[in-house]
Amino acid sequence: MKILIIEDEAELANSIVSYLSGQSYLCELAENYFKALEKISAYHYDCILLDIMLPGGSGLKLLAELKFQNKQDGVIIISAKNSLEDKIGGLELGADDYLAKPFHLPELAARVYSVIRRRNFANSNTIQQKEIEIDLLAKSVTVHHKPMVLTKTEFDMLLFFIGNKNRIVSKSALAEHLSGDLADMLDNHDFIYAHIKNLKKKLAEANAGNYLKTRYGNGYKWEI
Amino acid sequence: MKLLDKPLKAYTTYAMLVLLASIPVYFLMVDWIWFHEVNEHNLIVTESTKQNLKSLQLSNAQLDQATKLWSQLTPETRLREVEKLAADSTYTLYRKNTYIPNKGFDRYHGLVSYFELNGRFYSITVETNVEESYETIFGITAITVVFFVILLIGFIKLNKHISGRLWKPFYQTLEKMRSFDLSNHKNITFEPSDIIEFEEMNAEINKLIIGNVSAYNQQKEFTENASHELQTPLAIVQSKLDLLLQDPSLTNGQSTIIEETNNALSRISRINKNLLLLAKIDNQQFMDKETFSVLPILNDLVKTLSVFAADKLIHLTAMSDSEIEGNKMLVDIMLTNLLMNAIRHTGYDAEIVVLLDGDQLSISNKGDTKLNTDRLFQRFGSISKHTPGSGLGLSIVREICERYGWTISYDYLHNLHTFKVVFLDSKFIPI
Repeated sequence: MKILIIEDEAELANSIVSYLSGQSYLCELAENYFKALEKISAYHYDCILLDIMLPGGSGLKLLAELKFQNKQDGVIIISAKNSLEDKIGGLELGADDYLAKPFHLPELAARVYSVIRRRNFANSNTIQQKEIEIDLLAKSVTVHHKPMVLTKTEFDMLLFFIGNKNRIVSKSALAEHLSGDLADMLDNHDFIYAHIKNLKKKLAEANAGNYLKTRYGNGYKWEI
Repeated sequence: MKLLDKPLKAYTTYAMLVLLASIPVYFLMVDWIWFHEVNEHNLIVTESTKQNLKSLQLSNAQLDQATKLWSQLTPETRLREVEKLAADSTYTLYRKNTYIPNKGFDRYHGLVSYFELNGRFYSITVETNVEESYETIFGITAITVVFFVILLIGFIKLNKHISGRLWKPFYQTLEKMRSFDLSNHKNITFEPSDIIEFEEMNAEINKLIIGNVSAYNQQKEFTENASHELQTPLAIVQSKLDLLLQDPSLTNGQSTIIEETNNALSRISRINKNLLLLAKIDNQQFMDKETFSVLPILNDLVKTLSVFAADKLIHLTAMSDSEIEGNKMLVDIMLTNLLMNAIRHTGYDAEIVVLLDGDQLSISNKGDTKLNTDRLFQRFGSISKHTPGSGLGLSIVREICERYGWTISYDYLHNLHTFKVVFLDSKFIPI
């Protein structure tokens, strides 16, 4: 899977590369408008992470260029602006998702995973994780071909872990993913414990392997 | 006192003084003319009588007879024989009229004159009724008062007319300044005036306003830019922490430090995000409006929030739904902030009561002490060690309410905090 990261902040770009590379993604970097234009014209990427404010031009122009060249690359806008206009404008120009800075890397990874799945596996909507099978359209899960009933939160959580497999996800990243903007306002992220406990219990009851591990008390890891 | 009334008062006082002073002057003048004329009249009568008598060339006997007859016919004009001649003299007296006594006292002015006829001396006294001085004073005073009233009415009318027109540009400027609101982005233009002072005043005010507007805009832009600029370094720190957590050599203690740093970082992000939101509201973004019902939003919100506040009971009661007009996203933010505020300040297992009754929405939760109402809705006004909020939630609520003219209030009664929103435009004045 090839990912192009168009971001002028080297430190942030490096972090993203470092995190995603561990997820068996092949990452390339473009730190300005012209390099980005060159790369998107020459190659195909499964997913492009696009910053809007770039030296040399706007990321939205690149988006228009992609559309003009009739490219099918998935695009996630990562912007510091978090303005509704940019979000709507970007999505209208064909971006798949919009992520405002600052964000957690696991959140980004989960979104990349989801975009790539949507783009590449348009026909098969199932994810197979050993004995666990997830139907994305029906939002149902089976373990050893037997259905496992999950709440919406538990289902979201499972997908989030699979998008970050073999990576440690912090409690705050998970909380932010589940509650969106509300995480900001919650005093603590203790509500996570109950959901994790339930998911673990349901997986164990369905005789799934013990893939969901707790690390250092505050982190979680989907080991497979 | 209004500006225009000040000269009016001065003019009126001056006119009154002048008119008051004119009363004795008029009186003295009129009285003097009276006396002068009556004296002249008396003199003419005396002289004509003297000369006519002399020209008759009567004998002494005839003269006595004539004098006698004279005295009987006109006792007021006395003609009598005297010992010797003397200089003419005048006198004034008040007496009752002999013929019409119920007329009261009249004033008479008399002239006593002496002459010689046939070697005998005679005196002749002529009296003429003069206007009484109190009558003159009364008349003059009455007329003066009438004129004063006429002047006063004239002054008021003229003052209103001329001054009103004269000061019109001033009042227009005043009205414009009164309706000027720094935050609503409307520039004001003053109507040109042909009076130099007003033109100068308007120009100076304009200069002040332009300076203020630009300072205000700079400040707003600064907030927005500062918040934007902070997002990227925050994103870098966040990403580094996420990476650090992947390090297999991490100890439990180090991982806890990372999580604690994460929490602090998310608080910074939250403050920054809210500052940015406030700046955007200030900068007149989110201007698009739509009409929608409050209840469905509340229902969704309560459902979502219940997941994250499972230990608290949120009761939503709706007597009647309300249709409101506004930016849906802002209203959503406002309601979320209000509810989250209640959730955050409610203890374990406690109850939050949300009541929607038409245009009124109230959110109540239990609490031990009344909140500081002075600082409650101010930016960073309610922040404390015990409530690790951003300190901006309620000021965002107020800002949104203010935009649409809704009223937000806080009350503390029977150990219950209640925030109340009235979705009615208080700025709207029905015609």
